[in-house]
Amino acid sequence: MWHALRAELVYFRMWLLGGLGIATGVVLLLSVLMRFSSDADGPPSFVVAMFPLIAGMVVSFIAGSYRSEEHRARLLLSGALTPRQLAWVTVLLPACFVGLSVLAVPVILGMATLAAGKFEYSHLPTAGSFALQFWAYAQLGPLGQESSAARRQHRNRAGLVGWAVFAGVILVLAGCQVILRSTQGHLWQVVAIVVAMVVAVVLYQGRTDFTR
Amino acid sequence: MADHRPNAAPAASLSGLTKRFPGFQLGPLDLVLEPGTVLALVGPNGAGKTTTLNCMAGLVVPDEGGTEVFGKPVHSTRTEYRRDIGYVGEENGFFQGWTADRNLKFLAELLPGWSHDRANRYVERFALPLDKPVNKLSRGNKTKLALVAAMAHGPRLLLLDEPTAGLDPVVRSEVLDVLWEITEDGEHAVLYSTHVLSDISRLADELVFLRDGRLVLRTGRDELSEHWRRVSFRLADDDVELTGVVEHRRVRAEHQVITREAELTLQQLTDLGAEAVEVSRMTVDEIAVQILKEGHHVARTES
Repeated sequence: MWHALRAELVYFRMWLLGGLGIATGVVLLLSVLMRFSSDADGPPSFVVAMFPLIAGMVVSFIAGSYRSEEHRARLLLSGALTPRQLAWVTVLLPACFVGLSVLAVPVILGMATLAAGKFEYSHLPTAGSFALQFWAYAQLGPLGQESSAARRQHRNRAGLVGWAVFAGVILVLAGCQVILRSTQGHLWQVVAIVVAMVVAVVLYQGRTDFTR
Repeated sequence: MADHRPNAAPAASLSGLTKRFPGFQLGPLDLVLEPGTVLALVGPNGAGKTTTLNCMAGLVVPDEGGTEVFGKPVHSTRTEYRRDIGYVGEENGFFQGWTADRNLKFLAELLPGWSHDRANRYVERFALPLDKPVNKLSRGNKTKLALVAAMAHGPRLLLLDEPTAGLDPVVRSEVLDVLWEITEDGEHAVLYSTHVLSDISRLADELVFLRDGRLVLRTGRDELSEHWRRVSFRLADDDVELTGVVEHRRVRAEHQVITREAELTLQQLTDLGAEAVEVSRMTVDEIAVQILKEGHHVARTES
């Protein structure tokens, strides 16, 4: 399983590096513009963090689409992987992309500080909240895909459960943004993300067709 | 060619295999494939050939019935049977942006039993370009790559969906030779679907005809060509009814028929006093075309 996950990460690494490169470019441009505008601080840290996090999320969507188009399940299931392991590869991939983009955030923050001359770090907790949000959105990709697949394969009950969880996760995310912008809220978001991952794995295991 | 050792498990056995889609049902199919046999699945588009192969490879879960490969049940949650299977489908899931070589290296780490020597041997025989990305390979070269990937871990059962589609005649011949060699030891088996009917006479020991998801006919290749004949004759009576005839044409005074029961038809013609009777053999692919055209009729009479 880890071998397959590593291979997928290597395969899509240029997309991630490209996305992070674009994010860095945008942040630097923003920092330089703000430096020369009157009385402005550098861009707030949560704004800087948002760009690489969006890059990680978008790359996870692109990877999901490519893997589906390239029928990757056929290749991996011809080997020693079980559907459950393959499902975990599918749900861990977005987590890895967002995780790697989180690792890039301090580097980009440092570059933005250099470009802007000064920096506002007081918004870092908001950046953490953003990271959780984008991770959750990235995990909704596989969940939505499996819910659709269940409906397509006439596993209507499974499909309904999938879409109900999908909607539930979105409600939790919205609720946490509006009501619970605290540690407790973050905890609820993590729970929602883990539930989304587990349900996607369970739905994948229940597939009756692994050709797509 | 078939392995008749009493304790040898069949290479594959399908029992009551059924898969339903809206407007289509495959099966129930019962089929046993012995080691050392090459079995061709023949049928028109939408006959259920690919679904049968996908069920056998564990990629599609049947609604009823099941499959065993060398005595091991095919089930999506198990992996034991997969070591015995090499599968070539229409799509094979390769990393399209990677070269053929890199894909093979990835599979070498993923598939237990992978032999680099074996892989290199097939790469050379098929003249597969290893340095090109998969998305830049022609359809034929993609098929070659899929064949190398399917055979390099030494599976005992090859499931091939249209394996010669898109191949040039030289490579096609090479592929058919390799498949033939694989089954020569009596321990390996090949089940393949094809539209290229000329492949059948070259490779298949047995033929299974599918139509609308149902098994129309299962027969040995030699047995098939034994009974089918093209017969021309002259007879005064225009409305003659002949046993076993699947096609009847009248060209001026001459009758031309295709029969799947040559002995009976010829006996009847003798009894009726037919003149200028000429009998010619038919090739296996010609017979296959007739069976597919007459699918329902053959199914009814054979049963």
